[in-house]
Amino acid sequence: MELLVTEGLTKRFGGLVAVNEVNLRIKENEALGIIGPNGSGKTTLFNLLSGFFAPTKGRVVFRGKDVTRLSPEERVKMGMVRTFQLVSVFNSLKVWESLVPCIVWNSDIYHSLWKFMTTAVEEVRDNSIEALKLVGLKDYADSMTAELSYGDKRLLEIAFALAFQPKLLLLDEPFSGLSDVEIGKVLALLRSLKGKTTIGIIEHKISMIVDFVDRLCVMNEGRIICEGKPQEVLADPLVNECYWGKEEVVEEAPSSSAL
Amino acid sequence: MRKESRYMRDVLKKQETMLGVSVTARKSFVEAMGGQRVLELVLIAVVFLVLVPFLGAHRVTDFAIFCIFALSFDLLYGYMGRLSFGHLLYLGVGAYTVGLSLRYVTTNPLLAIVLGVVAASLAGMAVGAVTVRVSGAAFALSNLAFNRVGWFLVMSPLKEITGGENGLSIRNLSFWLVNFRNPNFRFWFVLVALLGVFLFLRVLTASPYGVLLRSIKEDERRVRFLGYNTYFYKWITFVVAASIAGFAGALTALNYGYVNPNTLDVHANAGVVFACLIGGSGRLYGALLGGILYMLITNLLPIYFQRWEFVLGVALLLIVFRFRGGIWGGLEALRKSIVLRYNASSSKKGVSQ
Ligand SMILES: Nc1ncnc2c1ncn2[C@@H]1O[C@H](COP(=O)(O)OP(=O)(O)O)[C@@H](O)[C@H]1O
Ligand SMILES: [Mg+2]
Repeated sequence: MELLVTEGLTKRFGGLVAVNEVNLRIKENEALGIIGPNGSGKTTLFNLLSGFFAPTKGRVVFRGKDVTRLSPEERVKMGMVRTFQLVSVFNSLKVWESLVPCIVWNSDIYHSLWKFMTTAVEEVRDNSIEALKLVGLKDYADSMTAELSYGDKRLLEIAFALAFQPKLLLLDEPFSGLSDVEIGKVLALLRSLKGKTTIGIIEHKISMIVDFVDRLCVMNEGRIICEGKPQEVLADPLVNECYWGKEEVVEEAPSSSAL
Repeated sequence: MRKESRYMRDVLKKQETMLGVSVTARKSFVEAMGGQRVLELVLIAVVFLVLVPFLGAHRVTDFAIFCIFALSFDLLYGYMGRLSFGHLLYLGVGAYTVGLSLRYVTTNPLLAIVLGVVAASLAGMAVGAVTVRVSGAAFALSNLAFNRVGWFLVMSPLKEITGGENGLSIRNLSFWLVNFRNPNFRFWFVLVALLGVFLFLRVLTASPYGVLLRSIKEDERRVRFLGYNTYFYKWITFVVAASIAGFAGALTALNYGYVNPNTLDVHANAGVVFACLIGGSGRLYGALLGGILYMLITNLLPIYFQRWEFVLGVALLLIVFRFRGGIWGGLEALRKSIVLRYNASSSKKGVSQ
């Protein structure tokens, strides 16, 4: 069954068509990889799916409902949770505190407010530490988030998303800027989720996710130029033409990608 | 028998602490927190009591009221990160509502206070519904605009009932045992009010709600992507801050027995911003300390210095460029560094032994 479908999704920035007539399908409980060179519109596509931007044209249908005009928070309520290409966590909070909004959350706004007013801090903290165990950050619970390494911040951001038990988890370049050890940690975590939830994952380097995903979409200049099983996609001459040469180009340093 | 068993318990407890273990660690921590809260309140009360012989009860009452107002502002600015230049509107609404209701509605000052708080929260609901949609300069200035509207209403169309520039003197300051004509009564009443507001905000900001506010302060957009309609929470917080400000306004009116149109003066907004910055924003103690210091500076310095505003300016520059956490933040940092140094030196000793 299709969890998410887009129809003719298009986003223009002035003269630039960042996402062009994209018809994407994500099936329930599959892991879908989206690859493509820098600037091919991958992040913009996620921004359209998650409600960061309204599309210029086209529709987003999630769990059978047209969500094109819904706000980001409405989409989270329906079970679509994303992470950001540039890690986005709360640096001014302690690590356990930064999970508080994810843990106390309730889809009903008044119930949510009630929980905020009545739940004991100690209880939230316990739950938060449970969630941190899942991503291996338990020992840092009382550190400031600002002091975490980039890789650990990324794990923390994924912990944010997992706390919602999302139907659809959208990860934008979860490996960028990480060391090999850190990549291993994130990948192990994602493998443990595979088959249990639907994952959409953007990656810039094909080799990183080719073993992990069930299906690959290749984007170039705002369009999906090819999709299918990972091995089939890699064998496609079109993909090779636009992509292969660029694949192992110098990786961006984390500092430059953070800007 | 009983004495003995208690003695035994004490011995056991001592052994526990000597061994560095505490069997009921969690419970005793919670208890300690409760005890700590009481201690905090007592200390705050002592600070204000100590000031009375030097400044007189009336003036210290004024300080305490300003501290209540500064606390409400800090909830908005320090915790939620929304700087408003129109917070005085709610102080004014509280004050005028008390003045008018003691004229036309009731003879009970306590009821008038309640009405003042309700009126300020209603005003906060209406204004907040518009202003929390924006942030940054737009938020600060749109609130300023509403503050100006309030000033205009009091000065011009409602002049007949508000007294315009002349203000409004209050009748019915006493009712049964409640006697706002007595400066000592006013002092104790306001002191208890301040402690109540402080306790309320202490609990609120330490709760998960406080954490949510701080996350909105850092990155509101990110919080929206965690499924929050942040407008709703910002609005609630705005209304709470407005209500407390209205409470401070109600007390101001009763403390003076007179409603001064200056309670609504937009220019006075700078004062509360300054108080929060100097004390340290985002820290309730910072707001208290800043409130007291600001009142001391503005009340006492003019007696000794002609150019007393110069001191304010220099202090503000120092804070902006050197002590971002204000005085309280500076003290916290100092304590942290001392603890760190102490730990480092004691662990060194451990190694050499
Ligand atoms: N907010 C924006 N405003 C204007 N142009 C944008 C914006 N976001 C992305 N773009 C442009 O859209 C194109 C696609 O960008 P992006 O989706 O970030 O690519 P990718 O994630 O595949 O590297 C780029 O040319 C980029 O400059
Ligand atoms: Mg991108």
